[in-house]
Amino acid sequence: MTRSWTDLDDFQNFIDGGGIVEAVDDMPDDYRAEVFRFIEFHANSELMGGLTERDWIPRAPGVRLKQIFLAKTQDEIGHAHLLYQVAADMGFKDRTQMLEELFDGRSRFHNVFHYQAVTWADQIAIAYLVDAAAFASQRAVFAECTYGPYKRVLKRIISEEGFHMRHGEEMLLRLTEGTETQREMFQAALDRWWWPAVHLFGPDSDPNDPLLRWKIKSQPNEQLRHAYIQKYVPLLQSYGFRIPDDNLHYDDTFDGGKGAWLTSDIDWEPLKATMRQGGPDSRRRISNAAANYADTAWVREALQRTGAAA
Amino acid sequence: MNTYEVFLKKPGKDEFRHAGSMQAADADMATVLARDSYCRRGEGEHLWLIDRDHIVAVDPDVLATTVDLAHRTNDGSAVAARRKRLREEAS
Repeated sequence: MTRSWTDLDDFQNFIDGGGIVEAVDDMPDDYRAEVFRFIEFHANSELMGGLTERDWIPRAPGVRLKQIFLAKTQDEIGHAHLLYQVAADMGFKDRTQMLEELFDGRSRFHNVFHYQAVTWADQIAIAYLVDAAAFASQRAVFAECTYGPYKRVLKRIISEEGFHMRHGEEMLLRLTEGTETQREMFQAALDRWWWPAVHLFGPDSDPNDPLLRWKIKSQPNEQLRHAYIQKYVPLLQSYGFRIPDDNLHYDDTFDGGKGAWLTSDIDWEPLKATMRQGGPDSRRRISNAAANYADTAWVREALQRTGAAA
Repeated sequence: MNTYEVFLKKPGKDEFRHAGSMQAADADMATVLARDSYCRRGEGEHLWLIDRDHIVAVDPDVLATTVDLAHRTNDGSAVAARRKRLREEAS
């Protein structure tokens, strides 16, 4: 009926030979569980990110930016829908279960959505720095991604995140070229968001990480994080901003003379706290999302009734 | 709720392509939601929504029986060998 593999070695050979797993396949239980967890985490993050964007629609300065934030919100919620469908098709939980666990504080999502965006500049730091970090890690998943249904929706998600990043950079440049107050606002936002953005990549990957072995991830966390730092440190400095890290320095001798920007030793405690829903804004974010879900129950009921009447 | 498979066709010569899946209560709702989920920026000119229950998924074993039928194809190697022999005989 479906494709199956005799054991994990057989499955690994299939993966190493460029094989792509489909939803109907009789995939190894561990693969199914790990990939499901990863996609559910991604879906939750898109949803929580979309709700953050939504908060800024009324406060975005000017009609064009309001339109942009409306579209971004719609994109992020749309990504969550696509991903929840892919996750639900893996057979562990349906979409309602995943949503209820998320709003109940029993599910994980990206660390960056456990912090509060205080000013408009925070929202720009998110659009520029955080979206770029998420974009880099999604592209690294898309590069190989042995789970076919996930790879196909990632293609769409990545193309839309590309628009978001350009919006983010455009908004940042407007602040950069603005008044001293605007520049100070962005510096303050950068001070708040630099480390959460760096944390988003996670601590160094376990060399035995099954997601690397099964080619869901194409690169270990530390490689992606390193590349991100190399790109964004000089860029932000060129705009005249200061990275909030006193030990940040350029080491000419790094990697046999290739040179690299090196940061302080990273404190992972803040990241771990967000994974326990113990981030600075976790409780408010989750309860807001839960309240939104409760407020829109009538829409879901109406949709169900439409189907029943047909 | 029904699960629909979404197929989009871009303008031009491309075929319909599977874009993903979604849930909706009926075909009318599916139409609205599919546009919002899969075609927000003119990604397609035609859209097919197919109730997953109506798809006949063929067992890969059925298709596997057609892989090993070499007489239905021709990779050109016999022709190449013959031409090479003729060239060598002529020279």
